Amino acid sequence: MKITTVTVVGVTGTMGANVAGIFASFGNAKVYAVGRDIEKVKRTIPRIIKSVKADSIARNLVPADFSMLDQCVAESDLVFESSVEDIQVKTEIAEKVAKALRPHAVSCTGSSGLSITTLAECYPEEVRGHFFGVHMFNPPYSMSLCELTPTRYSDKEMLYDLKEYLEKKLFRTVVEVKDSPAFLGNRIGFQFINEAMQYAEQYKDNGGIDYIDAIIGSFTGRSMAPLVTADFVGLDVHKAIVDNVYQNTNDYAHDTFVLPVFAQKLVDEKKLGRKTNGGLYQLIKYENGLKRQTVLDLNTGTYRDQIPYVFPFADKMKKYIAEGDYTKAFERLVNNHSQEAEICLSFLLKYIVYSLYAAKEVGYSVHDADDVMATGFNWCPPLAMYQALSTVADVKTLTKERLVEICQKVDVDQLLAEVEPSKYDYRLYFKSAK
Amino acid sequence: MGRVYILGGAQTDFERNWKKEGKNMIALLKEAVADGLADANITFDDVRELNRENRVACFVGNFIAEKYTEQGHLGAFLTEVDEAFYGVPSARYEAACASSSVAIDAAQTKIANGDYDVAIVVGWELMKTVDSKVGGDFLGRAAYYEKEGKGIELPFPKLFGRLADETLKKYPIDEKRYMDALARIAVINYENAKRNPLAQTRKWFMSFEQASTRGTETNPLVGGRLGVSDCSQITDGAAVVVLASEKFMQERNIQNKPIIKGYGHRTAPMLFDKKMADNADSEYILPWTRQAVLDAYKRSGLTVDAIDCFETHDCFTSSEYAAISAFGITEPGKEYEAVESGLIAFDGKKPINASGGLIGCGHPVGASGARMFLDCYKQVTGQAGAYQVQGVKNAMMLNIGGSATTNYVFIIGNN
Repeated sequence: MKITTVTVVGVTGTMGANVAGIFASFGNAKVYAVGRDIEKVKRTIPRIIKSVKADSIARNLVPADFSMLDQCVAESDLVFESSVEDIQVKTEIAEKVAKALRPHAVSCTGSSGLSITTLAECYPEEVRGHFFGVHMFNPPYSMSLCELTPTRYSDKEMLYDLKEYLEKKLFRTVVEVKDSPAFLGNRIGFQFINEAMQYAEQYKDNGGIDYIDAIIGSFTGRSMAPLVTADFVGLDVHKAIVDNVYQNTNDYAHDTFVLPVFAQKLVDEKKLGRKTNGGLYQLIKYENGLKRQTVLDLNTGTYRDQIPYVFPFADKMKKYIAEGDYTKAFERLVNNHSQEAEICLSFLLKYIVYSLYAAKEVGYSVHDADDVMATGFNWCPPLAMYQALSTVADVKTLTKERLVEICQKVDVDQLLAEVEPSKYDYRLYFKSAK
Repeated sequence: MGRVYILGGAQTDFERNWKKEGKNMIALLKEAVADGLADANITFDDVRELNRENRVACFVGNFIAEKYTEQGHLGAFLTEVDEAFYGVPSARYEAACASSSVAIDAAQTKIANGDYDVAIVVGWELMKTVDSKVGGDFLGRAAYYEKEGKGIELPFPKLFGRLADETLKKYPIDEKRYMDALARIAVINYENAKRNPLAQTRKWFMSFEQASTRGTETNPLVGGRLGVSDCSQITDGAAVVVLASEKFMQERNIQNKPIIKGYGHRTAPMLFDKKMADNADSEYILPWTRQAVLDAYKRSGLTVDAIDCFETHDCFTSSEYAAISAFGITEPGKEYEAVESGLIAFDGKKPINASGGLIGCGHPVGASGARMFLDCYKQVTGQAGAYQVQGVKNAMMLNIGGSATTNYVFIIGNN
C-alpha cells in the first residue's frame, strides 16, 4: 500500500495531532492537517512536531480548514477522521469525505467506540469497503497499539494491505478486532477502572478513592494506579466508554460498567480530572511553588490530603519487587488474607478472566488481550499476569476460591484452558516506585 | 591454551528505566543473571556443584557504579543475586565503556588456562539514577577528568566532536559528504534497532533529514558539529555471557557452540590531544584501535574477508566512522564509501551493528562490551531473530573505553 498523502480531520484534538505526527514521521506522508479553525491548526503544528521529536517533519504538514476538506481528500491516499466522539459529527464528516474520496483511497476513523459499521454505511456502496476503524492509543509515539476494525463491507485485500502498512511502515502493534463497543483494549481496561471506582464508593469509609488506588497501584502491574488513570484520560471520556459498553453489551460483568453516582456528579459539574484540575484528585499549587496532591473524600464531597496508607502486604510486595524478588512478592499477595490483599488479588484474577472473555468476544486470539493491554495501557498483560501468579499458585484453583460469584456466571475452566504462554515479560510491569 | 566456548547469555530490555520501576541494582542483576544462565542451560545448582571443585568464577564489568548508585565492591554483589554464588570467585573489572570487555578477557584467560571451566560474565550500568548533565559529568571520568572533564558540560560529546574535526583535517573529504555519512550511520543504527525487540530506541523516529539537519530544537548540537542524533543513548541495562572450557563441553556433551577465535587489546594515550599527535605517522586516525583489530585478526588467523558482521562502539557516529577503516572494510579516509554504498547497512555485505549498536540498542556503559559479545554470539548461532544477518560464520566486535583509549576487539566464530 503506497500512502504518500494523508488527510487528518480534527487535527487540533490530542489524538488528531498525535496521529498526524505518526503519519508525517514514520509514514513520511504529506499530511493535510484539517481543523475547523485554520489559525488553531497552525498553532497545533509545533505540538505535532514535538509529539515525534522531529523538526524534519514540518515540511510534511500542511494546515487546512474544513472549507478545503474536499480538495485535501481528493488528493489523499488515506483519510483519517479524528473528530469528537459524536455520531452526528462523524456522520457529517463521513458523508463529505465519501464524496471526494479517490477510488483507491482508504478512509479511517479513530473512533474509540462508535459503531464502525454505522459509519461505513455513510459511504456509497462502491467505496464502503474502503472504510475501517483505526483506533490508536495516547500517546501513539510511545503506545504502539492500533486496533484495526474492518466491517462486513470491508475489502479484504485492502484490509490486508492496510494492516501491513500500519505494522511495517508506521510500526504499530496491530490487533484486528470486531466492531464491538469500545473494542478490546478499552473494554478490558475500563472494566477494571470502573470497577475500581465502584469499589471506591463501596469502601468510602476506608478512604475511598486513594484507598483503592493504594491497593491496586503500580506494584500490581501498571505504571499508574487505575483511578489516577481515570483522571488522566478524563472522567467525561471514561463515562462515554463505560456508558457505551453498558448500553450496548450484556456480558457477565455488565454491572461493573455502571458509572458510580459520584463520578456522574463530577462529570455534571465539569470536574473532569487532570484537564480541569479537579476530578477524583486535585493538585493544589501555591504561589510559592509548593504543590499538594489532594483527593476527593466521598463521604464529605470535599478534597482532602491523600492518606499515606501502609498495608503490610503491599509494603512487603514493594520491597520484594525493588530487589527483583517477584516470586516472593506474589507469595505475599496470595498468602495474605487482609481485606486489602484479598481485594487486590481478586482484581488481578478478575482482570485475567475478563480479558480472556473479552478476547473471545471482541478479538480473535487470547494473545490479542495481551497485545492491547501491554501496548495500549502499559499494564501487565493478562497472560503474563497469569504466568506471574502461576509462579506461586495454581491460578485456576485460586480463581475458584476467590471469584466464587463469577465462576457461577461464566465457564472459568473453559476460559483458563485457553491460556497460552505470554509473549510479554511480566517483570517489567510490576513496579516498586510510587 | 585451551579453546574458550560461548554457552549463551542474555541482555535486559534496554528500554527500561529501573529507577522509574523503583528497582535497584540487585533486581537488575537477578533478572540478567537468571536469564543469562537459563539461556546457557546452567542452573544455580550447577553453579553450586561446579563451585565445590572451584571450577566456576564470575567476572563483573561496570564503569562507575560508585557515582551512579553509590556502590562499590561489585564483584561481591552477585552473592545477593543467589546463594549459589556464596564462595564463587568474583571480581569487578573496569576500563570505562570497555569494562565488560576486560571482564570477558579475564574470563577467557582463566578458562583457556584451565583455572576454571565455567565463567559467568556480567556487565551492567544503571545510568538513569541522575539527570543527563550530572551523568555526563560522571562519564567525564573516562577521560582525563582533571584536564578534559572537570567543569565541562557533556565532555564526551565534545571529545568525539573533536574526533570529527580531526577526521576532516586528516583526510581530504568534503565536509558535507562527511557529515551526511555520519547522519546515515545514525539512521542505519536507528533502523536496525527497529528489528531488535530489546533495543532502547525501537519505537523512536529517525530519518536522514532529521539526522542531517543539526542545530534544530529537536536535534541540537551537543559537541562541536555533532547533534543529538549522532549520540548513543543513556541507558540502564545488563548483559550476561557464559563461557566454558573444552573439558566442560565434553563432560556435558555440548556441541555446536561458537568459540572466541581471537582478541585484541591496546591502550592509546589517555589525553585526546596526545592521541591525535600520536597518529601523525599513521594513515589511521585511531592507530591503536586499528592495531587492536590487527591483533585479533592475527590471533584468529582470519582477515576482514572472513568476517560476516560487525558490532562496533558507535558511542558517537564519528567513532563508528573511524571503526570502518579500523576493521579493514575500507582504506582509511575512504570510510564514506562503505556508508554511501550500503556496504555496512543491514542488507549490505559487511553489516555493522545489526543490533542497532550503542545509538539504536542503547549504551549502558559497563554492559556494552558484553552486549556486543552476546550479539556476535547470537549472529553466529542464528539466534538473532528479526535482526539476524544471513549466513554468519564469524563476527567481530570493537568496544572502546574513553576517547578510544582502551580498545578491545573479539572475534567470535563457529569452531
